[in-house]
Parts: sequence; structure tokens; C-alpha cells
Amino acid sequence: MIRLPRTCYEAIIEHARREAPFECCGLLAGKRDRVERVYPITNRADQAADLFAERGLMPRAGADPATLPAERYFMDPEELFRALREVEAQALDHLANYHSHPATPARPSRTDIEFAAYWPHVYHLICSLADPDQPDLRAFRIVDGRVTEIPIVVEDE
Amino acid sequence: MAVTLLIPAPLRRFTNEQASVQVEAGTVAEALAALDAEYPGIRERICEPDGRLRRFVSVFVNGRDVRSLQGLETPLRDGDEVGIIPAMAGGQ
Ligand SMILES: [Zn+2]
Repeated sequence: MIRLPRTCYEAIIEHARREAPFECCGLLAGKRDRVERVYPITNRADQAADLFAERGLMPRAGADPATLPAERYFMDPEELFRALREVEAQALDHLANYHSHPATPARPSRTDIEFAAYWPHVYHLICSLADPDQPDLRAFRIVDGRVTEIPIVVEDE
Repeated sequence: MAVTLLIPAPLRRFTNEQASVQVEAGTVAEALAALDAEYPGIRERICEPDGRLRRFVSVFVNGRDVRSLQGLETPLRDGDEVGIIPAMAGGQ
């Protein structure tokens, strides 16, 4: 179970809507199983075509890098580094990564599962906007390619 | 130069769960070599067999990505902090 204050839940959905039709991404930090802070990070997938191509994870052969953020995310490394330092400075734990699926369901894709290999100890949250009126936010553990859904409890403060 | 390497959580199993490691090094490459001498196996998580930085790993000197500096040859000064993080990436 992951506990998410309503303000954080709404911040993630707002971030996903603001970036659509591109994917949004960011970190969640808190203590134990409760999120306290949302750190939005810039999606630089347009600069990471080589990273996806190297693993055969480009959406289409010859896809225009400028359109990649609609189907891929790659967190800006310097922003990510600063956010992780900030999490430590606040004496919080990095609990989860989040990103959006602007047009597909809230299930980890093959690309999500491959890259999750580097972050097996955090939850992976996905916000689907496939139905724009009904955002669907789900959390997963992804360990050794195995995906387990984790319940999200939205808490009213 | 005495520098501090900041170890990301996914690589701390190599460093007995230490979040930071002090080494003596004049460049980022030397710092990674010194880290690997102390904790064998960690360098190949960061660099390709030919020594290049792996594409899904970023290394920082005082918060700046070494890809925008001089790569692994970026010089280090006393007290510099060398950060390491694997990419966070995915898609739909
Ligand atoms: Zn995804």
C-alpha cells in the first residue's frame, strides 16, 4: 500500500494534464509508505533517442525525436540529481517515480519494465489520461521484470 | 585530491549500503577507478567495457552533468562531489 495525500494525488494528475499530449514525469518522496512531496521533473525524451534506440525501444523506426515525449519519458539528469539531493536534505526517502500515459492504460509498458530494472526498490506510479475525464492513477512494484500492482490510498488531510 | 562519490541507492549493495565514499582522484575516471578498487564490480555498472560512460548512467561534478563538461576526463578539485545516477526513463 502507498498512502498519498489528496494534494499530492491532484498534483500528479494536474502535471499529467499540463504536459499532455506529452508524458509527464517526476519523483515522490516521503516516509515509510506515505508520500509527502511531489517533485516534477522535465521530460527530456527528445534528447534520449539514442538511449531508447540502443535497446530497441523506439516507438517506430526513424521516429522524429521531437515527438518522442508523447510516447517516452527520460527525466532530465541534472534536475533528477538535484531532486534526489533535496529529498535527502529533507530527511525523506525516495519512494516512487511517476509518469503519465497520455493515451494508453495505466499499465507498465515493455519500456517501463526494462528501465525499472535500475530502480527496483521504488514504486512506479502511472497516470493514464486515456479517458480524459477519468484519470487513472496506479502504482506498481517492478522487480526482475515481474509487475505487482500496489493499492494506492488517497488520504484527505 | 580528496573527493566524495555519492552512491545512488540502486548501487549501494556494492558499497555495504554506504551513501558516500571518499577517494583520492584527479579526474572523474580516476575517481571511478578508485571506487572500483575499494568495491570491485561497481565500475562496470557505470562504464562500458571500453571505458565509455554507459548511456543510461549520468555522472555529475558538483551537480553538473559531466557530458556537458569534459566527460570522464573532467578534472576534480579537493572537496568536489561526484554524483552518479542511473536514468529514470520509460514510456507508454
Ligand atoms: Zn509508461
